[in-house]
Amino acid sequence: MTASLRNRLLVGTIGAMVLLLICFSLLVYAVIRRALLSEFDASLASVADILAASVEVDANEIDVDFEVQQMPEFNDPDKPLYYQIWQRSGDVVARSPLLGTRDLAPFHGAGERRTRAIRPPWNRRAHRAISMDFVPRVDPENAEWSQVQVLALVVARDTGTLHGRLALLQWLLLGSAAATSGLAFLVAFVVVGRGLSPLQAIAGEIAAIDEEDLAARVGRASLPSELTPIRDRLNGLLSRLEKAFERERRFSADVAHELRTPLAGIRTTVEVALTAERDAAEYRAVLSECLEIATGMQSMVDTLLMLARLDVQQVRFKTQPIQLAELIESSWLGMAERAGQRDIRFENRVGAETTCPSDPEHLSRVFTNLLDNAVAYADHGGRIWTTAQRTDGAMEIAVSNTGCSLTAEQVAHVFDSFWRGDASRSATGTHCGLGLALVQRLMTALGGSAAAHLEPGGIFTLRLTLPASQTHR
Amino acid sequence: MRLLLVEDYRPVRDSLAKGLREAGFAVDATGDGKEGLWYALGHAYDAIILDLMLPGMDGLDILQRIRSENRESHVLILTAKDTVQDRVTGLDLGADDYLVKPFAFEELLARVRALVRRSYRRKHPSIKVQDLRLDPAAQRVWRGSREIALTPKEYALLEYLAMRAGEVVSRTDMWEHVYEFNAAASSNVVDVYIGYLRKKLQAPDRPALIHTVRGRGYRLGAAP
Repeated sequence: MTASLRNRLLVGTIGAMVLLLICFSLLVYAVIRRALLSEFDASLASVADILAASVEVDANEIDVDFEVQQMPEFNDPDKPLYYQIWQRSGDVVARSPLLGTRDLAPFHGAGERRTRAIRPPWNRRAHRAISMDFVPRVDPENAEWSQVQVLALVVARDTGTLHGRLALLQWLLLGSAAATSGLAFLVAFVVVGRGLSPLQAIAGEIAAIDEEDLAARVGRASLPSELTPIRDRLNGLLSRLEKAFERERRFSADVAHELRTPLAGIRTTVEVALTAERDAAEYRAVLSECLEIATGMQSMVDTLLMLARLDVQQVRFKTQPIQLAELIESSWLGMAERAGQRDIRFENRVGAETTCPSDPEHLSRVFTNLLDNAVAYADHGGRIWTTAQRTDGAMEIAVSNTGCSLTAEQVAHVFDSFWRGDASRSATGTHCGLGLALVQRLMTALGGSAAAHLEPGGIFTLRLTLPASQTHR
Repeated sequence: MRLLLVEDYRPVRDSLAKGLREAGFAVDATGDGKEGLWYALGHAYDAIILDLMLPGMDGLDILQRIRSENRESHVLILTAKDTVQDRVTGLDLGADDYLVKPFAFEELLARVRALVRRSYRRKHPSIKVQDLRLDPAAQRVWRGSREIALTPKEYALLEYLAMRAGEVVSRTDMWEHVYEFNAAASSNVVDVYIGYLRKKLQAPDRPALIHTVRGRGYRLGAAP
């Protein structure tokens, strides 16, 4: 539940607001209650003072001023105000008319003045009482000073009105707190809802994107600044995904195209051959044509499988010291005949003693592809040569050929799958544009790299870099 | 009927050209885009079979050039590109048909024959001129109920005349639609073949079918 941002915000703001309201209400209540009580106590104390001042010791008697006794406060049964005065001995000197024969009880210590809440036994209602000692006034003519004694006085009053007010205050505070909480909830609900609406909007946009249409981008409408980094990252991710999907789509389309074309070759060749009775030589020609096409397809499928295995890292490497010159010579053997047909000269300038640790099988595949490529694209009567030199920590090998007709911009694409200089099948018919892609992936897997360069005079050079001490991937 | 085949994958090009020639078509074949355009603009082909990914010039560019030069040749796109978008693009640029590799040769033949029929605004698969009947799919000819045996060249010439039955057809037209670019023949050969055809189509008590229009050429059947 709190996993929802909306709920978390609502619970947080409303909880904090209610808590604050409760604290504030309690504080207000405490302050007002305290003020009311002290006001109440002050009035009790003033009544007590008036009473104390009205007591006079006169001719061995202790009198309470009659006028004071008749004050309306002491005679109102609705808001009863009681008093009682005792001598040291405990004899009652006077008590308010409303008390009748009932007794209050003093509760102060000697020389003290105390106020507290009491519940008189006769009606159990809440009262407040002040209890104190006082020295009565003495009539100097009729009384002996020796007879002057300290008297005790208790004044009590029903706190009904006070508690009524406090109860009203309680309800008022409670009510306002509840109403404020309710309003706060509504306001928070609306504000949080509005505040979070861009999130829902962007979520809706994201939900609308499917893998068929990755060109879509989210957050075209204006977004709060907190959301723009999320939108930017998301859009960045989308555009990377789009590119990757597009690459995959193009790759599968290219694979389909490259497999369909030779299949069409085989099918048409066979179908046309079957439309009539032919002599053995013609059938033989058809068969060898189909064999040639099948061989080409096999090599393409092998290359595709190799690329796929390199992608999922299923290729094993066995490193051993390799005599580079020897490996290049043996890779050239398969090309020599085709090169001879077009008067292409090959020169292996790699020193016989040059060695490098690598995987002989895969490195040989790299050279076969590069030399095959060079023979296919070198000009008639052109040259192909290989060089190798050791630089710090690396072996640099270059395969060059003359007769390159590519532009520098085109050279940048030679490692793309199915890319051919001409956007079509080359004249030789066997180069489907996967060779250099495989070379690059193999070199990466071997811990090295491959780069293509166009040099003046139409010289195409492929530079390979291998680590001098081998570390695979 | 004369076809242009522009296809850069040699095995497909060679077999197709061979198969189409055996089916009675005159075929000019090339693997280069620019050469293909040159052929297409230089001759009135009855149909053009066009691959899309070509060295020199893209197939769609060739198609656009052909159409912008107002050449009426029917174009069949033959390609390994098989998405709906590819087909739509090709057809919208003015192609008349679209076939995806690999394909059945029989189907290609049937589609080419259909395109040729459309070139001459014909719907019926066989052609009838008076009591003469031609079946282009089988390359067979009947006069009345009698089948007439013709050599492929004789048949091709007769089919072209029959497609334009009732019209006066010039020797150059005939030569252009029956012979390939490389053929070492001249339009005089046409007269020789017309002679052969007249002899073979002759039937007792029936009117002659091929008429000579002096100074202009030949006509098959009566003038409309």
